[in-house]
Amino acid sequence: MYLKELECSSPCVALDDLILTTNTPTTAGSKMLENYESLFEAEVVTRLKQAGYSVKGKINVGEFGVDLLGETSYFGAVVDGDNLVGATSKVMSDVDAVIGLDVNGEQRRSASLFSFCNLKPTYGTVSRYGTIPVVCSAETVSITGKCPNCVEKAYRAVVGHDDKDGTSHRVESLDKLDQAKEIKKVGVLTAFLDKADESVKDKVQKAIDMLKNNGVEVVEIEDETLLLAKNAWNILMSAELCNNLSRYDGIKYGYRTPNYKTIDELYTNSRSESFGEFIKHVILFGSETLSTENYMKVYDKALRVRRVMVEKFAELFQSVDAVLLPATSKSEYKIDEVKANKFIAFEENLFTAPASITGLPTVTVKGVQVVAPAFSDYKLLDLARKVR
Amino acid sequence: MKYETVIGLEVHVELATDSKIFCSCSAKFGGEQNDHVCPACCGMPGMLPIVNKKVVDLGMTAGLMLNCDINRTTTFDKKSYYYPDLPCSYQTTQWFAPVAVNGLVEIETSKGKKGVRIKQIHMEEDAGKLVHDDWTDSTLVDFNRTSVPLCEIVSQPDLSSAEEVVAYLERLRSLLRFAHVSDCRMEQGSMRCDVNLSVRPEGSNKLGVRTEMKNMNSLSAITRAIEYEVARHIDALENGTEELVQETRRWDDIKGKSFAMRNKETAGDYRYFPDPNVMPIVIDDEWFDKIKSSLPEFPEVKKSRYVEKLGLSEYDAEQLVQSRALCDCFEEACEVCGSPKDVVNWIISDCMKVLNRKQMTLDMLDISGKALGELIVLVNDGKVSRMNAKKILDAIFEGEENPATYAEKQGFIVSNDTGAIEAIIKSVVDSDPKSVQDYKSGKEKALMALFGKCMRELKGNCDPQILKKLLLECVEKA
Amino acid sequence: MDKTILSRLQKLNQLSLSDKEEESVLAFFADREAECEALSAIDTEKVERMVHVLPILTVVREDKEIKTFTRDELQKGAPETEDGYWQVPRLVE
Repeated sequence: MYLKELECSSPCVALDDLILTTNTPTTAGSKMLENYESLFEAEVVTRLKQAGYSVKGKINVGEFGVDLLGETSYFGAVVDGDNLVGATSKVMSDVDAVIGLDVNGEQRRSASLFSFCNLKPTYGTVSRYGTIPVVCSAETVSITGKCPNCVEKAYRAVVGHDDKDGTSHRVESLDKLDQAKEIKKVGVLTAFLDKADESVKDKVQKAIDMLKNNGVEVVEIEDETLLLAKNAWNILMSAELCNNLSRYDGIKYGYRTPNYKTIDELYTNSRSESFGEFIKHVILFGSETLSTENYMKVYDKALRVRRVMVEKFAELFQSVDAVLLPATSKSEYKIDEVKANKFIAFEENLFTAPASITGLPTVTVKGVQVVAPAFSDYKLLDLARKVR
Repeated sequence: MKYETVIGLEVHVELATDSKIFCSCSAKFGGEQNDHVCPACCGMPGMLPIVNKKVVDLGMTAGLMLNCDINRTTTFDKKSYYYPDLPCSYQTTQWFAPVAVNGLVEIETSKGKKGVRIKQIHMEEDAGKLVHDDWTDSTLVDFNRTSVPLCEIVSQPDLSSAEEVVAYLERLRSLLRFAHVSDCRMEQGSMRCDVNLSVRPEGSNKLGVRTEMKNMNSLSAITRAIEYEVARHIDALENGTEELVQETRRWDDIKGKSFAMRNKETAGDYRYFPDPNVMPIVIDDEWFDKIKSSLPEFPEVKKSRYVEKLGLSEYDAEQLVQSRALCDCFEEACEVCGSPKDVVNWIISDCMKVLNRKQMTLDMLDISGKALGELIVLVNDGKVSRMNAKKILDAIFEGEENPATYAEKQGFIVSNDTGAIEAIIKSVVDSDPKSVQDYKSGKEKALMALFGKCMRELKGNCDPQILKKLLLECVEKA
Repeated sequence: MDKTILSRLQKLNQLSLSDKEEESVLAFFADREAECEALSAIDTEKVERMVHVLPILTVVREDKEIKTFTRDELQKGAPETEDGYWQVPRLVE
C-alpha cells in the first residue's frame, strides 16, 4: 500500500473559516458571521476525524474567500513585516495539512509564495457539504501541506462520493482517479510567463529543470486563449457570490444592525454595516451581470467562454499530459501595495482562473501550478514528488 | 362601446409529497410554527439541495395530464429578491427549461367547449408564511411552508370571463386530483391562482393594460375579483376615472376591492440564472414510460366507460368521477362483487352518508374497495341483513378489511333456521296479546311494532320478507 | 454605469454605499466592463453554455421525511424571535 510510505505521523489539520464546524464559530472572515455557530459540521471534517485526524484549529480567511491572501478579513490581514502572507503560512509548521475552500485561488497563491504543496482536487471529488457556499459551480475543498505526501494522505481521507452533495461524483466515476494517465509530458503556458516577474520566471525555470531531471518531457505551448479565462471567471464568480450572499440579511442569524425601523432599513443597514468594502463591490458587479439587460451579453457569454476554456484544455491535453503555469505574478505582496490596489485579486486570479473555471485538478508545488485532466489528482501528486 | 376581457392564469398547486423539494423536512400542512424546518430551509449556509424525485414524478404527471410536451432534460434556476418569507433571498424555480410546455386543457361553459393553451408548467419551492402581529406590532416569520414543492401552471391568455376561469380551474383541479398530483384545496392554499387581466374594445387586436391579481381564496372570490377588476378597467377606459398601470394588485374579499401592492416582491429584476448546485435532470425513456403508464384514465373516459360498459346511469357515473377516491373504491369493489349497480348505490347513498356524518369530503374516502365488494356479496347472498350491513360498513370505515369474519364475530350472520325464527316470533306474539288484538281489529301499525320486536330479538339476522311472512302466519293463528 | 443605475443596484441588493465607496465602485465597474469587452475576441455564437463543468446528471432522492434539528436549535443564533417565530419589523400590508 502506498499510504505506508507516507511520512506523516501524528496527524492534525487546521481548517479555514469557510469550513463549518460545530461548537466553534465559522465566520467566513466576515463581521456578518462574527458569532455564527453551525449546527452541523462539514463532511470533510467528519471524514478527517474518521481517518484519525484531529482538528487543531480554524484559521482566518479573506471575507468569503475571494480576495488575494486574506487581506479583506474582518479580523485583520495576516502580515509578516511589510508583507501580506495569509494565515496558512503561519500555521503550516504546526499541522499536517490546512484544509480550505478554494474559491478564488487563495490557497494556491499561498502555496506558491511559501513553497508548500497544494492540491485543488477535481471538482466533485470532495464533498462541499458544510462549506460556506460562495461560487458553487467551481469552488472545491483544497488541501495544503508541507509535502505531497501530507497532501495525499489528507486527500485520501476526504475524497469520495457524498449523497448530501448533488455535485458529488458517483462511486463509479471516482474509479477514474486510479485509472488516470501518468504525467510524462508537461506543456509550459508561455503566455502566462510573460505576465509574471523575473522571480516567478526563475521559479518556473527551476521547476522545469527538476521535472526534466526526473525524466519528464517539457515543451512550450504558445496559446493566448486561456488568458481570457479570468475575464469570464470574474463574471461567474461575482454573480454566484452575489446570489449566495443574499441569504445574509440580518433576519435569521448573524449580524443585525441596531439602526432600523423598517424592514428595508433592517436589510440594508445589516448588510451595509457588516460586509466589507471589497465584497460589496463584488456583490454589485455580480448582480449587474445577471440583470435582464446584461444576462445574455455578460453572464451567458461567460458560461459559453467557460466551455471554450474546457475545450481548450482538452485540446492541449491531446499533445501534453498536463500544463504548467505560475500561480502568481510575483513572489511577495507588500501590504501597502495591496491596500493601494484593493482589487488586486481580480487581476492576480489571471493565473488561478483557468483551473477554477474548468474545475480541473491542480497541484501547486515549488511555486508553480500544474493543471491536468479531470481525475488526475493522484498523478499530479506523483508529479509533485518529482519537483522536490 | 363593447369590451372584451383577456385573462391568463398562473396557478400554483402544492404537490402531494411527504418531504420538501430540496431538503427532507416534512411537507405536511400545519404543524407548530417553524417545526418543519432545517438549516437548509431557513437559509443557513452549507447544506446543498438534493431534488426530491417524487416532485419530478408529479411535475411530469401534471404535464402529461394537461397534454404538455415533457422536457426530457429539465433544469432548476435561481430567482433573487428580498422578502422575509424567502430565507435565502432567492427562490429555486425553473426558468430556462421547465418540466412541461405547450399543453392544452379543454373546458366547457354555457357557451360550449373551448381549448385553453398551457404555456408551461414549472416546479419550484414555496415561500414561508408571514404573520402580522398586533401585540408586538411586528411581522413574524414561519418557514414551515418554505421549500414545500409547487407546480406553477401558466396558461396563455385564452380566457375571457369569470365563468371560463372557474371552469378552467375546476378542470385543472379535477385532473390534478385524479392523478394524485395535489389535493388542490384553495382554502388551505394548496391551490392558488394569480389572474392576469386586461380589457380592450371588442375586435381590437391590441392588448390593454394588464394587471395581476393575487390573494383569492375560493372560486367565488375569484369570480368577484374578476368582475370587480373588469368593471374597474372599463370604468377607467370609458370615464377616465383613473389611469391604468401594469401592476400587481391584492384582492380584499371582505371589502370587495383590489388594491395595488407595493412590496419588494413586485419590484425589480429577479436576475434568474441556472442553479450550479442542481444538476440537470434527465428523464430517460424508462422513467418517462413509468410515469406515462401510471396515469389515470381521464374522468370523462372513465365516465363513458362506466355508462357504456358497466351500465351505470349518467347521473351515477358523474357522481363517481367527481373524485378519484370514489372511482378507485368503486372499481375495486366491482372486481370483487361483479355488480356495478349495487356498488354505485352503496357508494352514493351509504358511503356518502358516512362521509357527511364524519364531515369528510369525497376525496377523503379511504376504505378498502375489496371489503366493500365483499360486504355487498354478503348482502346479496342474504347472509347479512341491510341493517347489520350498515354496521359492518361503519367498521370498514374504521379499517376493517374482512367483513365476513367481522359479521361472524358480531353475530351478524342471517339465520336460515326457520324453526328457531318461528320460536322467537311465537314468544314475542305470546308476550304481547294487546298488539295482536290491535292488529286484528285493523291497526296495521301494531304489526310493525311486533315486527320490530322480533327483529330486535333476532339481532337483525333475518330476511325481513321471511320474517314478515312468518310473523303474519303466527299472528293469524294466535 | 452611472449613479442612477448604481443607486438602483444598491436597492436591489440591500446595500447602501458611502460617496467614497460609490466612486470606487464606478472605477471597479469600468475595469470589469473592459474585461467583458475583451471577451468579444472569443466567438461563442455556436458554443453551448456550460453551467456544470463535469457531466454528473440527475441526482435525486426518495421522498422521505427526516427531522434534523429542533426549532430552538435553529433559533439559537437568531437576532430576534417571538413565540417560535423569527421576528422582523411590521410589513405594511
